[in-house]
Formats: sequence, structure tokens, C-alpha cells
Amino acid sequence: MSGKMRILTSLLVIAIVAVALGVWIIRGPGPLDFAGGTKVALADYRAGKPTGVPAKLEKASLAERGEYLAKAADCMVCHTKPGEKEYSGGLAFKLPFGTLYSTNITPDKDTGIGNYSDQDFLNAVQHGKRRDGARLYPAMPYTSYTFMTDEDVLAVKAYLFSLPAVRAKAPENTLSFPFNQRWAMIVWSAVFNPDTRFAPDTSKSPEWNRGAYLVEALAHCGECHTPRNLGFALDNRKKFAGAITAGWRAFNISSDKATGLGNWSDQDLISYLSLGHAPSHGSASGPMGEAVDHSFSRFAPEDISSIVAYLRSVPPQPSPDLPATTAPVAPASHRDGVTADARGKKVFASACASCHGWSGESPVSPMATLTGTWAVNDPAATNVAQIVISGTKRHTPDGALSMPAFGNAYTDDEIAAVANYVTARFGAKGSKLTAKDVAELRGQTAE
Amino acid sequence: MHMATTLSINGETKSFDAPPDMPLLWVLRDILGMTGTKFGCGIAQCGACTVHIDGKAVRSCVLPVSAVENRNVTTIEHVGSTPAGAKVQKAWLEAEVIQCGYCQSGQIMAAAALLAATPNPDDSDIDAAMAGNICRCGTYVRIREAIKQAANGRQS
Repeated sequence: MSGKMRILTSLLVIAIVAVALGVWIIRGPGPLDFAGGTKVALADYRAGKPTGVPAKLEKASLAERGEYLAKAADCMVCHTKPGEKEYSGGLAFKLPFGTLYSTNITPDKDTGIGNYSDQDFLNAVQHGKRRDGARLYPAMPYTSYTFMTDEDVLAVKAYLFSLPAVRAKAPENTLSFPFNQRWAMIVWSAVFNPDTRFAPDTSKSPEWNRGAYLVEALAHCGECHTPRNLGFALDNRKKFAGAITAGWRAFNISSDKATGLGNWSDQDLISYLSLGHAPSHGSASGPMGEAVDHSFSRFAPEDISSIVAYLRSVPPQPSPDLPATTAPVAPASHRDGVTADARGKKVFASACASCHGWSGESPVSPMATLTGTWAVNDPAATNVAQIVISGTKRHTPDGALSMPAFGNAYTDDEIAAVANYVTARFGAKGSKLTAKDVAELRGQTAE
Repeated sequence: MHMATTLSINGETKSFDAPPDMPLLWVLRDILGMTGTKFGCGIAQCGACTVHIDGKAVRSCVLPVSAVENRNVTTIEHVGSTPAGAKVQKAWLEAEVIQCGYCQSGQIMAAAALLAATPNPDDSDIDAAMAGNICRCGTYVRIREAIKQAANGRQS
């Protein structure tokens, strides 16, 4: 080998090693790597059945089993534009580099997935590959669904194909360069899609394994609750540490005692997941509210328990911007407590006090109590502003309780003022939102 | 789904069938025929539907009936038999507060809850308690005057 060739070869090797190292560093661990136990192929796991449907549905038809799994995977919320037919797509995801629309997954042959074979459907759900060969953007959480068994994915397909076909073509995406280059997703997918099926961990209980399957493969909790890395993929070094998604803050759901779920009782977690409310922890709103309404509230009780068992095992991750303890109940009188932001107080008195009370403990319902919630204790006030803008509605077995949307009734300035007042009065530290921040939050919400 | 529901309203026990998520306001007006409480906006923003739950002023239009079981509901029909309510109603008549009257049962309920909790309210107390009760006739000046009169027990 000549000297020149040797130098070139060395440079090439160094470049390859550097790229490989870079990819390895950015990619980080997989979603289940924290557990560290011995993984076996599903077929070799005898202790329990982590995949499929709960026992009571074992004998149900394929489509019925698929319905349970489709709800567990929460396909509907993203694949439905509010006010349109279920699963007919068109929901807009507003990203910093353009808008992405969800697709019609009803069995319509022209505009939906009516022509998909089983293999086409598996390709889309597990590998992020459309029937025409084009790559899906990872807004479709196929890097989570890839852990689903073929059997479960095809049950979901059977359910979707049992629904009426809806003719509805989603608008074209408006992504800017280079994000409009779908082919680049081949590279993204090669690096970030684990492209592997769920493998049970023999060092853990069957309940944990079922929880792991539900959380990672179906419910795709990490897609909102895990921060993203440089490549916009999940950074599992900070698994479940919380993140901002679609303009809402998905809070820390690691086992951290102060800012995660470490201090929630099992009953709190069960109640929050199945009803969307846990006493003194608040109520689910925004995207989590939708996840409860359309997904978690439909889970069998034993599946909710498995999720809780699994969540408990996720290593603690601190959220340094959140207070170590949430603020206590505010004074009963409007005179006591914070006096900052006179304008915010005015808005609160007119629009909020009659349901939330001046102390933060609602005279109406524990579901409307502000005290103790992360939303009012988040010094960024992200979710407070979002709930004021879009309102919220909680369904329970005893009926629904709702808060109206104020987004069209108040200006960005007024919404910032009331969010700042609310976080200062009921939270540990007041926020400093401006009208511009509120306008930006409005712009990020999926619709 | 209808369910047999029992509520304590104005000191009496009332039983009726209603879906658990039916707003208390609908139960009051449409099922129990108590039309003194008014429907205004339906989204807790005008205060016309104000009633007392355990003595606190709340908006009945957004309150599911299932949320008030085992709690005491007081409406405009009965508030005159509470000490604060009686004072407020008297002052309201003396100050001739009412113009069209649509919002006034809500105004009186809010004022009565305020006086029961804060017997001598100043302007900021009145602002904090009454800001959510809207009056399109603009009787706010007389409302404020009547609340102070009810607190002091004096004639203006």
C-alpha cells in the first residue's frame, strides 16, 4: 500500500469510527435497557403472557381483540381530526419546521388503508414504511409499535378493517427543506428504530413484563414523557424525565420521589390512569386527558396494575426546574397571599374563582382543585396557559365535569396575566409568561 | 342513563331521576320546576345560575348533579331565610338595584355568600366576590351600594 493510500484508508476508518461513535452516543440506550435482566424470545417465556389481550378477551373475535389493542395503542386520537369521523385522519401536528397531517386509517381503498395486505400493515406499524414504499415520519410512533407482536398488530388491522370506510384525504404536509425529504427517514429509521419485537425479561415478574409491553409497545408513554435527543428520537438516558410535546408539558413519570411518581401511591396512579384524576395530584387535561378518555380508561384493571408495577421500576430522573414540594393550600381570602399581577387577579376573580376558589381547593369538585397539581407548580405555567386556552373535560363514571375554553374570550396578555397569578398564588413559584409566550403555545397545539 | 338521585335542596330532601352528568341548573329548572335560578351563558362565565353549595357560591350550569349529592344546595327561592340572604334582599329592594332582573338572582346569591363569609366587605372584597356576576343593564353601582348597606344595616 502506498503512503497516500494508507493515509486515505486511515482517514476513512477514522471517519467511519467517528460516525459510528456519534450514532452510538446520540442513540443511547433502548427503552427497556434500564432493566438489565436476561431477555428471552417471547416464544421461550413461560411465566406469563405479556402480549395480547387480557384474559377476559382471550376468546373474543380477532376484531374485538384488535379493538382492545387499538385503544391501548391509542391510534384514534392522532388519526382523527376533532369533529371528523374516527380514524379518518387529518389531525395537524404543528412542528417548528412545518405541519404534518395524520392519515386516514379507515379501510377506504382510495384514501385510507383498504388496499393494505397484512405485510403492508406490519411494514407501516413496525418498520415505518408505507405501502408505496415511502417512509413514515416518526410522529407515527412506530419506534414504539415495533415492539408489538405480529399477532397483535394484525389484530389491530382486523379491527380497523371492521370499521366503515371513510373517504377523507389528509392535506399535504407543509414541511420545509430538509425535513420534506422523506427518503432521509431511511437513515433516521436505521439509526433510531430498534426494529425488534418485545422480549420478556426473566428476572422480572410476569406483571412487570405485561406492564413493559403495554407501556413501551402499545401506550407509547415515552413519545411524550421522554425528552428527545439531537436526532429527535427518544433519549432514554433521561427516560420518562418529562418533555414538552405539542405545546403541553408531559411531566416526569420516572420514579423520582420529588418530581416524578415516586411519592404517588398505587391507588393514586390507578385512579389517574383509569379516571384521569387522583386526589391532590390533579386531573389529566390536554393530550393526557385524551389518552385517559380514549385509551387508559378502557384498560382492564389488571393491565392498569401492570402498568403501575412497571412504572415503579423506571429509575428516578430529577426535573430540576420543578420545586421539591408542591405549594400548600393558599389563603381562603383573596386579600392574603400573593398580590402581584393585579390584572391576573381581576381575570381570576371574574372567570376562575367561582369554580376553583381563592384557596385553590375547589368548592365544586376535587377534580377542579388546583392545590398540589404540577400544572400550577410548574414555573413555566405551560399547562396552566394551555388549559385556560382550550378548556378541559373529565369523564368519570358519575358524569363529566368540564372547564370552558377561554382562548377566544381573553387576549394573550390576559391569559399570561392569569397564568402568572395562578402559579404565584397556588404554586411554589410564579411564572413570567408574556403575551408572546402564550401566542407561541397556541401555535404548537395539534388541531 | 337515568339514576335515582337524592339531593338536599333548601333544607328539603328531593328525589328524582336524572343522568348523573346533568347540570344542577337543569335539575332545578326542568325537573324540580324551581325557575328562580336563571340560565345565562351555560359555561360558568356570567353568574346568572349561581346557587350555594354548603354556603359557597357556585355556578350550577357546569356542576353535574352527581357532584352535589350529600351536600346542601340553597337557591334563590330559599336564600331569604338565611340571615345574610335576608339582609341582602332587603337592601336590594331599598336601593332599587334591579333593572331587567335577569342576572339578579345570581347577584343576590353571590352577595349573600360574600356577606356570610365576610360580614363587612370593602370594595376589594366585593370585587373579588362579585366580578364573575355580569349585569348587562349595568347595575353594578347599585349592587355595590346595596351590599354595603346590607353589611351596615343602614339606609342610604
